Amino acid sequence: MAAGAAVLEDGSLISRLDRGLLKAERLLALLSGIAVFSLMILAVVSVGGRNAMNAPLPGYVDWIEQIMPLIAFMGIAYVQREGGHIRMDIFIGALRGRALWLFELVSVVLILLLILALVWGSWAHFQRSFDFAAPLWSRDSSIDIGLPIWPAKLLAPVAFAVLALRLVLQIWGYGRAFVLGLEAPVAVPLVQSAAEQAAAEADQLAGHDSSTGDNSTGGQG
Amino acid sequence: MEPIEIGLWVTGGLLAMVVLGMRVAFAAGLAGLIGLIWIFWAKFGYDPARFGKALTVSVKIAGQVPHSKVSSQALSLIPTFILIGYLAYYAGLTRALFTAAKRWIAWLPGGLAVSTVFATAGFAAVSGASVATSAVFARIAIPEMLDIGYNKRFAAGVVAAGGTLASLIPPSAILVIYAIIVEQDVGKLLLAGFIPGAFSAVIYGLLIVGIAVIFKSVGPPVKGFTWGERFAALPGALPIILVVVIIICFVYNPFGGDAWGTPTEGGAIGAFIVFLYALKEGMKWTELKSALLETAKLTVMIFTIIWGVLIYVRFLGFADLPGAFSDWITSLEMSPMVILICILLAYAVLGMFMDAIGMLLLTLPVVYPAVMALNGGESVAAADSAFGMSGTMCAIWFGILVVKMAEFCLITPPIGLNCFVVAGVRPDLSVQDVFRGVMPFFVADAVTIALLVAFPGIVLYLPSLAG
Repeated sequence: MAAGAAVLEDGSLISRLDRGLLKAERLLALLSGIAVFSLMILAVVSVGGRNAMNAPLPGYVDWIEQIMPLIAFMGIAYVQREGGHIRMDIFIGALRGRALWLFELVSVVLILLLILALVWGSWAHFQRSFDFAAPLWSRDSSIDIGLPIWPAKLLAPVAFAVLALRLVLQIWGYGRAFVLGLEAPVAVPLVQSAAEQAAAEADQLAGHDSSTGDNSTGGQG
Repeated sequence: MEPIEIGLWVTGGLLAMVVLGMRVAFAAGLAGLIGLIWIFWAKFGYDPARFGKALTVSVKIAGQVPHSKVSSQALSLIPTFILIGYLAYYAGLTRALFTAAKRWIAWLPGGLAVSTVFATAGFAAVSGASVATSAVFARIAIPEMLDIGYNKRFAAGVVAAGGTLASLIPPSAILVIYAIIVEQDVGKLLLAGFIPGAFSAVIYGLLIVGIAVIFKSVGPPVKGFTWGERFAALPGALPIILVVVIIICFVYNPFGGDAWGTPTEGGAIGAFIVFLYALKEGMKWTELKSALLETAKLTVMIFTIIWGVLIYVRFLGFADLPGAFSDWITSLEMSPMVILICILLAYAVLGMFMDAIGMLLLTLPVVYPAVMALNGGESVAAADSAFGMSGTMCAIWFGILVVKMAEFCLITPPIGLNCFVVAGVRPDLSVQDVFRGVMPFFVADAVTIALLVAFPGIVLYLPSLAG
């Protein structure tokens, strides 16, 4: 779970831009994590209210549906930065040097094409529900308690736009590695075998667990 | 060109992109988008003047998929289950669970190995991470087994195999994903996973006891724990047991009467319990922060694949590829059971090269309708069906089989990932050692899958009770 282990850094412009963007991306991802946490609290309040006071939380499902896009989209650029989106790396993992950077470059360019189209498409989706003249600026609302839906719809183009920035940086990074024939370029995720990743996770966990003895009901120190 | 031909070309392109290492989520989204553009432009007779129109329509169709598909209550189970997993890491539950299992069952022949299997299964179930669980227990459990004279290959095999029990026992994110893709009841699938998951764990346990009885040298029992020590170890294991029980009770009340709530609520209460336990264990803000960040990361990864694939599915609908594939499958001159087994074997091969979630999401939109058609259709009655079960039950049964297959791949030579990971964590073990040690479990799993295929009742008993 060691974040960022696979992306190298140095003092160059691209690496500084990478780290600058990373700060924003990490913040957005943390926002998404906090949204998951609030989802949990919401359910606990809802169940508690229903059973203890016979008063279920009004609009519980509406709120969940509003929170979901926050959870689903905000971290997308962060995951791309860390090279975390699932792929099959049996072929690309065997490549080295320029051949590797070429394949990475082509695939990132293709992703950018898709994401630009989706920024456009999801923005259009947002615009259909947004109207300055309407109450709460909203043309549509959730079923139970009438929350406006446009804020949730806006999250998709915003998150995709940040991802587009990240992809442009990665195109630069892989392009530079390809042109210069670099061994270990900065600012792009390097291929890590799944075993390496799992070992890194276990390292982190072992570090956490080491303060507990046989009877681990004690504190973590 | 006919829509179906466009469907085949685009699907071929998608497979090529995936094999060449493009991120699955984006490859699927891009294939879907290109497919939509192609189909609409073909409808306009490839008129260059109307390409812009085809492009706009397709982009707008694709652009509404991400928001409209992820805003669902059922999908909110996924982040909740993932949160449980990461909080469980920080609650120090791994060693606590192992200690409890050891004190309660290590007196059996091969007892330490049996304890390891149950502790690994329990933690993997709650954390949902098969591979990482094996890596962790390789550090905790293997040294203890070696200390009392276990065969080192056997010890490694136990840990590698134990991690595969993760994805059937609730909370299981992958079963939620399956349920959503095939549009079945999430609660019933979660319920259906419990018996096969527990069944697999028990089979592993029996196998170890059997091996230890026959080969005395393999695993001596560990005796001498007092009842006081046993009960003292329980609180550490309790959160895990509670999470599993609560999620089941929120789906189906075993004491009769209504279920306690929705699966979403059950998952959230489970997460809350683990959260409280982690607080009690002294979790700090930085740890909570990294748990939340990791949760966000994994969740986003899964959701990106979900909406990416759903863009592709949108296109498939226009191209009617699933329909054509179903027609082809049902027209084959083979018994439906043979075809089903071939499909499962294909998953076994595919699973070696690909992550389970990516594999299921990519293939199910085409394969699932075909399996349903084999059984006689979505709404077929049990009496008229090929596999002797209703459409809904067939969907659940197939889901459990496919997920079990995906886990089975983790210990299958030549590239079962869990074995590589255990070998990677233990420098004194080669991958061949681990594969040799895991062999008995590999055979046990093959037998388990055969039993699940032959006796669907093992899978369908609980969901049929839930009505």
